[in-house]
Amino acid sequence: MEIIQKFGLETKLFLFQLINFFIIVLILKNFLFKPLKRILDERKRKIEQSLQDVENAKVVLESASEERKKIIANAKVDADKLMMSIKTSADEVKEKTLVEAKSRSQQIIEEAKNKASIEFENMSRQIGKISVDISSKILSKVLSELFSEEEKQKLMSRALEKIDEKITN
Amino acid sequence: MHISPDLLFTIADFPITNTVVTTLITDIILIILVLIVGKSVALKPGKVQNIIEAISDFFRKTTENIDEKRASFIYPWVLSFFLFIVISNLVPQVPGFESIRFYTFFSGHHGVALFRAATSDLNLTLALAVTSVVATHCLSIKQTGIKSYVMRFITFKMFPVFLFVGILEFVNEFPKFISFSFRLFGNIFAGENVIATMYSLCPLVLPLPFIGLELMIAIIQAIVFAMLTMTSMHIMTDKHTK
Repeated sequence: MEIIQKFGLETKLFLFQLINFFIIVLILKNFLFKPLKRILDERKRKIEQSLQDVENAKVVLESASEERKKIIANAKVDADKLMMSIKTSADEVKEKTLVEAKSRSQQIIEEAKNKASIEFENMSRQIGKISVDISSKILSKVLSELFSEEEKQKLMSRALEKIDEKITN
Repeated sequence: MHISPDLLFTIADFPITNTVVTTLITDIILIILVLIVGKSVALKPGKVQNIIEAISDFFRKTTENIDEKRASFIYPWVLSFFLFIVISNLVPQVPGFESIRFYTFFSGHHGVALFRAATSDLNLTLALAVTSVVATHCLSIKQTGIKSYVMRFITFKMFPVFLFVGILEFVNEFPKFISFSFRLFGNIFAGENVIATMYSLCPLVLPLPFIGLELMIAIIQAIVFAMLTMTSMHIMTDKHTK
């Protein structure tokens, strides 16, 4: 008892300290730890949510990247196909154009040949006519001095016939 | 300095000692802390909230490392012990705190110190020890059930070996009151005495390193008390499988 008194132990003070600390614990628990825990949990949840969002964004980014690669690959294939078809059609067009050009040129040549032959015939005929005229004029001039009118006519007509025959042949 | 706290006055036969005054100051500081942090708690913490969060987080993680399942039950007690003891220990380290004198009818012409470290009063440290042990046992009953709790101390398996062990464990609970209370009381009371001696020898420079040492002891003792409570709570809330 003497030791207890020496240390100043007293029931009233002990009970006061006990109750005082218990009240402090209750105050801390209800008004400090609870809101603190709530806010810490909320922060943790937000951080986890943000991390989840980052993960989701990563997945989306990865899938977008995959999609991009796929699209690029498809576009490449399409472009190759297109190029091939363009080349094929260009070849076809070239071939066709060449054939058409060839036939057209052939046709033009043929037409030109025909025209030339017609022109030649016309020219030959005209030249023949002109030569007949000139010949008849020369003959009439020459014959008027050597033969009578009647012999002249006969010779002329025979000569003209011959010239005609020659021209037509 | 007396081992017992100095009586200042009485209110309705209730003795108001200098340690009671310091206890009330500690209460006021804690309530102000609760008002500052508890009311304005925000996702983006302020300075005070940041400090409290860091302390809270340290004890929560430590408790979770020891006992993840029951951390939510244990850690509020541990943190309460730490905050109360650390503030009680740090308040008297304010320079000049204990030099304020109070003159009473019994104190003589020197008067008595108006303030004294609350934890240098065995009434407080014993109250803390009793709270710690009782809370531990209450948690044990709540968590493991009354049957497992009783089985921890009284069991007839392998009679009489485990019965003897159980009795030993039961007896072992009582020294906790003494070890918890006297460790804290002894450290703080001794520190107070050392600083008082140094002040009396050379009040200008000599006490400074001891004040630094006392600051360290103040924090360490608070951590020791909190950690011992944590360990004891972890052991007692574990289901008895013997």
